[in-house]
Formats: sequence, structure tokens, C-alpha cells
Amino acid sequence: MGYAKHRGKIRFESDLEPDFSKEISSIPEGEQLFSCIQCGTCSGMCPLSQYMDYTPRQIIAMIRGGFKNDVLSSYTTWLCASCYSCAVECPKEIKLTDIMYAAKRLAIREGVYPKRFPIPILAHEFFKNVDDSGRNSEGRLILRLLLRTNPLRLFNQAGLGWRLLKTGRFSLKKESIVHKGELKNILKVLEKEHMVKSKEELAPGREAGS
Amino acid sequence: MSTVGTGSNDKCKIGVYVCHCGINISSKVDVSKTVRFAAKLPHVTVSREYKFMCADPGQDLIQQDIRDGRINRAVVASCSPLMHEPTFRNTMAEAGGNPFLFQMANIREHVSWVTLDNTAATEKAMSLISAAVERVVFHQPLMPNRVPVHPDVLVVGGGIAGIHAALTLADAGQKVYLVEREPSIGGHMAKFDKTFPTLDCSACILTPKMSAVRAHSNITLWSYSEVIGVDGFVGNFKVRVRRKPRYIIEERCVGCLDCIEACIYKSGKVPDEFNEGLVKRKPVYIPFPQATPLVAVIDAKTCIGIRTGKCKMTCIDACERDAIDLNQSEEINEIEVGAIILATGFKTFNAKRIYRYGYGKYSNIYTSLELERMVNAAGPTGGEITLKNGQKPKAVGIVHCVGSRDNKTNKYCSKVCCMYSLKLAHLIKERTGAEVYNFYIDMRTPGKGYEEFYDRLLEENVHFIRGRVAEITDWVMTPEEEGKLVIRAEDTLVGVVRRVPVDMVVLSVGLEPQPDAEDVGRLFNISCTREGWFLERHPKLAPVSTFTDGIFLAGACQGPKDIPDSVAQAGAAAAEALALIDRGYVVLEPNTAYVQDELCSGCKTCIDLCPYGAISFDDEKDTAKVNGALCKGCGTCVASCPSGSLQQYLFTDDQIFSEIKGVILYA
Repeated sequence: MGYAKHRGKIRFESDLEPDFSKEISSIPEGEQLFSCIQCGTCSGMCPLSQYMDYTPRQIIAMIRGGFKNDVLSSYTTWLCASCYSCAVECPKEIKLTDIMYAAKRLAIREGVYPKRFPIPILAHEFFKNVDDSGRNSEGRLILRLLLRTNPLRLFNQAGLGWRLLKTGRFSLKKESIVHKGELKNILKVLEKEHMVKSKEELAPGREAGS
Repeated sequence: MSTVGTGSNDKCKIGVYVCHCGINISSKVDVSKTVRFAAKLPHVTVSREYKFMCADPGQDLIQQDIRDGRINRAVVASCSPLMHEPTFRNTMAEAGGNPFLFQMANIREHVSWVTLDNTAATEKAMSLISAAVERVVFHQPLMPNRVPVHPDVLVVGGGIAGIHAALTLADAGQKVYLVEREPSIGGHMAKFDKTFPTLDCSACILTPKMSAVRAHSNITLWSYSEVIGVDGFVGNFKVRVRRKPRYIIEERCVGCLDCIEACIYKSGKVPDEFNEGLVKRKPVYIPFPQATPLVAVIDAKTCIGIRTGKCKMTCIDACERDAIDLNQSEEINEIEVGAIILATGFKTFNAKRIYRYGYGKYSNIYTSLELERMVNAAGPTGGEITLKNGQKPKAVGIVHCVGSRDNKTNKYCSKVCCMYSLKLAHLIKERTGAEVYNFYIDMRTPGKGYEEFYDRLLEENVHFIRGRVAEITDWVMTPEEEGKLVIRAEDTLVGVVRRVPVDMVVLSVGLEPQPDAEDVGRLFNISCTREGWFLERHPKLAPVSTFTDGIFLAGACQGPKDIPDSVAQAGAAAAEALALIDRGYVVLEPNTAYVQDELCSGCKTCIDLCPYGAISFDDEKDTAKVNGALCKGCGTCVASCPSGSLQQYLFTDDQIFSEIKGVILYA
């Protein structure tokens, strides 16, 4: 995608995607996005804004401006804890949390999320786990997450892991359900439907699957 | 311009004129097609189109056709009758025709402006024209009624707008009744210390006007009074005013304050409304030193003497002029006026509604109006800005847009808050030397000298942080926040969240309609906007008139307004009222009801139903009789008449049924 080269303080019109805001605002009530008055209440309410690279308000401005690469590769959307403080206090009643989810979905679909950042990887690994065996195995999930993000932290956490293992709070055993095949079929159908739907979402007005 | 068809020489000769209205109509309606269609309708002798029928050349078309004897009735298909019916009726009259042998078909508001479909628009335009043609056949020549206008004016509300309107009218020689709900006139302006952007002393410019009201021989000032009933119509309103008992005989009281000192309460007991509850007052009080009229008032809810009768009543002994009368009761005065000016003002937003700003929870959080009283030299602290512990604040935060620009409270911008916040910031900086932080969404300073005032504040090193305050808390994160109020907001220009510790917070509350604005609107038969502001007749071209003729608006009751705008509107309202009075008469629509004697069975159903008492019973003829001077043309009696003997001019059964027929036949 080449998003990394856009880190400077200038954006040319050719760097921007004018339809990006339409893509995001196609979610239910997403058109509220355009009534933002940039007051910053969302950022002020956000308990996590101090860790974000862009404040929630900036994310809205960037979506409206078509800063697709900047938004999809930012940490902000992934740090959102879905506490809904911003949505509750927004004077224009913008469902900012939903917009964050829309951006996250798009980032995953396009593969443009911050690499080695734990939250998207956690989501991904969690799904893989469940898809695989029908149930989440915590021990394996944590192992894979640490391996994929920061393997050095394995040593850091080893002591804690050992203590948890000893007391039976943590297991490396793979957990599984009986009829794995049936769940797989259900998920397959769902995924197929979702793919058709998301194509429509991505290109509103265009014929699906054509 | 083109002409299509000339018809028969029938007695009834109708001219149809279709207006393009620039492209307002012609872009949707095929005008030429409607003209050709109209030419074939019965009795139509002339059918024409023109770019602007309301312009002089357009009107000339009609007049020439009348003078040449081609037509004696006219249908104009153009805009809403609200817009130009009077215009075309005049056109008819000037050319020697009767103005009521005319009908308008609204093909703009009802057709071209409300559809994207050209075919449907043309069809509907044709059916409306056919309806108007069918109807105008049954129109009768009528004479409008002229009614004299009563020369007196009622002004409701004694704030700066009401005061200015009353003085303007009184100076022009009209008799004015000024009714104010509170014990004194002056309104919100009397509470302010300074006014933006010139920093004039508010009292210094207001009190001379208040004294002028009291002294003016043409003004009858009724303070502590409310309008409770309005009857009649433009030029002839009958108004009932309730004068609440103030338990002080107004003519005798000189405002010497002896009764207040003598009150058995040695100190204040009730929150002082004028000082926004910052201090307490006694049950007997004068709101403020410059009160007009300077007459004490006794609060019946808290005075022991009035409530229980078991009081030493030291006030009565103290009054040398025997002005106190604890048995006073309310008085109802009835007056007749020709015009009414409403200047009932506004109230401020209740800051408690936004809980995360902590108003009422933390001390040292004030609303802007409370701070106005605090910085006022005549206020409870003598102009000192102090914290609850008596110290001067070292840092003060001013929070803009409290209750404004928010879908959950008020959507609109309250217009005056940016400027008064700047003024307060200046006064706080001047009096305390504190660091002042303004938290704003957008700085709105349009107005003469307003932007320059903002520039001045920037140079005075007042801090401006562009961001709406998220919350105000006493939750401490760093040592320097200890014991302070922390304001949390995003500095949107920098893109970081800031926590600013301050000693005092001022909430710049927005403006809201009076809580009883809807009731007042109903009383005077005018409408309110969704927010509750009184609705003007036209937002641009009739900003002081209402949809009820003879009732005008002034000041913030129509929408948030600062002092210059309120005064300007008050002057405009006075001029409009004067224009009405000076003409001396009003022309009433001749849409009154009448009885067809031969059909009336004398059942008297209509007599009790008439809201205006316009129908009486003729004992000789055994029929009902309508007094045309009292009838307002509401149509209630017409609808209720079991024998159909009651009819209404301009709305007879023939006219309405033929209009319906016209729509159906050619639809």
C-alpha cells in the first residue's frame, strides 16, 4: 500500500482517497460523521487518547478529508476500548465507536493495519483458534500472540506463566469441541455471505460479484 | 409574451394569467401548454403567460384586458396567495374591476417547488388552474371592511427591548402601557456590570432610560403585572392585565428602605433572584438600588405576616407613609390597544443539566450570569471576584457553549456567549490578575468592534484553547492539581488532550426561550419555533411582524440577541406599530358569514357556537343575524348550520364545490 511514505507533514491530493469518507459512512448512521464540528469532546472524554497517535477527533477529520492510509495504519482505532464515552457525550451524536469499528474492519480487509501491533493480531489469532477447534485455548493464544508481536516478552512473562500453570489457572492444552466439522460448515456459510455483503459495502451501488 | 385564443362574449369573461416566476415555475411546468389548456376552459376569454406577473408589465396585462373589456374576472396562476394576492387584487381595483372577482392558483409552492417530475407538475398546474377558473365564476363583487385603529400600544416585557420600544412610541406621542412581570423593569441588562465590546457601564446607560420610562407622561408602567387575556384583532385588541399584589401601596412608597430594615428577620432569608441566589434577601425587598419603580415589594410566600398573621409587623410601624397593606389583593385592569409589542426576553440555560461540568456539585463553579453579579460593583461582593474561601483566584477557566451547539440540549448557537465570555475574561484578568483560560469550539465575533475586542484579549495574554470541555473534575493526577478543579479538554489546534488546573470555573450558559413562551404565544395567538422562540412573519423581510396582524416582536424573545440587536429590533417594532396607528384604519378581509333568511329555521345552534358573539337572534323575522363588524370569518357557524342557511363570503358552497369540480374534471 505504500502508506509508510506518507508520514511527512504534507498531503497531496493524489495521496488522498476522496471516497474514503463514503466508505466509512456507509455503516448505519455513519452519515453522522459529516456533522462533526471538531470540538474535541470525544478526545477529552476518551480514557485512552493519551496513548493514541491521532486523537479520535483527528481521526474524524482525516476520514472526512480522505486520509485513508493514515487512518487505516494508525494505532488509534485499535486502541479504542469501546467504552462509548465519546459517543455518549458527542454534541452531534456521532457514533464514534461504530466508526472506529468500520475503520478496523476495513484495515483488516485491506491488510493495512500496524504490523506487530498486538490488538489486530489478538483478534486474528482468537478467530483462528475458534475456527480451528471450536473453542479458544488461552495458553496457545497468548503464546502465538507474543511470538507474532514481541517474542522477547516471552522471557519477561515466563515467571508469571509458570506460576499460573502450576496453580492450574493457565493451560497449554488444546481445547476443542466434539463436532468441529459442523461448526466449520456454519462458519463457512457465514463467511461466504459476509464476503458478498462486504463487497457491496465496499462498493455501494455496484453489482455484487460482478 | 404570447396570447392564445379569444373566447365567446359571455357575460362572465375570465382572463387566465400564468406566471413563469423567472424559472421558478417554468423549469418544472410547461407554461405554454397550461396557457393553451386554460384558453379552452369555459368562460375563459383571454389566456396569457408572462415572465413575472407581479412586475408592473405583468400587472399591466391584466389592467389592459379589463379596460378593453376583454375580461371582468381574473385567475393568476403563480405563487402563494400569501405572497401576492393583495398585489393582484389591487391590480384589479386600479383598473376599475372588483378586487374580489379574482382567484389565485398556487403553482409554485404547491407545484414546481415540491416535485422533480415535469409531467406531473404540468398536470397538477392545469388542474389547479381549472379549479380556480370554475371557482371564480361564482365570485361576488365585495367591499372590504374598514375598521378604525385604537391609538394606544401595549408593550409586554420591560427589559431593554421593551423599554426602548415604549420610549420610542411615547416620544412619538402615543400612549403606551408597559407591563412587566418582575417588581422592576430593567431585565437582564440591569444585572450586568459592563457591556461588550466598549465596556460601557451597563447601569450608566440603562438607568437613564428606566427613569425616562417612569417620568414619561405617555407611559403607564405596570410592574409586577402579567397579561392574562387578549381578545379582538389588529387595531382593536382588548387586553386584561393582572396586577399582582405587592402589599405596598405604590403611590405612597418612596423607596426609603425603612420597612426592609424594620423586618423582624435581621438578615436575608430567601435566595435573592436579582443576585442569582448568591446572597439572600428579606421577604420585604427592593430588587436593586436603581429599581424602577422604586417601590418595595413583599413576597407573600415567605412573609410571616401574610402567611400566618402572627408577626409583630414591625414594617408597618416603621413606614411613616402608611404604604404597607398586607390585605392587598390582585387587581384586573382591562385596556384597549391597537397594537401589541412582545419583548418578553429569554432565560439562561440551567447548567445542572450537564452533570459532567459539576455545577452545583463542586464549589467555585459559577454560571456567567452569577459572575456578572459578582463583578458588578453593586453586587453581593461589591465587585470583588473571590473564591468561597475569600481568596482571589489564581487561575480561572471559562467554558464556552454550555448548553449550546449540542443536539442533546440546544442545537443553536446562542450568539452572545463568545462576546460576553471575552468581556468576563477581561474583567477577571483586570480585577484579579489571574490566568484566564477560554475553552471554545469556534470564536464567533461578528459585529462592529467585536473582532477588535477579541484581538485585544489575545494581546492581554488571555489563554485560548480551541476545544470543547469534556469534563470538570476534582480527581487529581499530578501534585499541582491538588485542591484545584481540573478542566479536561482537547487542545484541537495542537491535537493533544490537556488537563488545566484552575481555582474557579465560569460556565458560559446559552440563551433559552422563557419557560412559559408557548403559553404566552397561545395567549397572543402567535406561533413559536421548535425551540420555543416566537416566530416572525418572515425571517428576512418581516423580522418584527408575526402571523397575527398588529402583534410585533422585539428582542431576545424572537431568538438570541445582544443589546444592540435588541434595541434595533425594538425600534423597528415601534416603527411598525406606529405605521399601523398612523394610518388610522385597517382593511379587513370581507370573509364574514351571512344568513340566507328564507332557509334559516331559527334553531339558534350557531348563536352559542360563535366565539366572537357576532350572531344574535332576530325575533321579528325568527332568524339568526350576523353582525359583520364582529364576525372574524372563522366559519364555525357555517359548518354547524343544519339547514345550510349560513354562508361565508369568499367561501360559499358554490365556490368550494365548483373548485373541487374543477380539480376532478380536468385532473
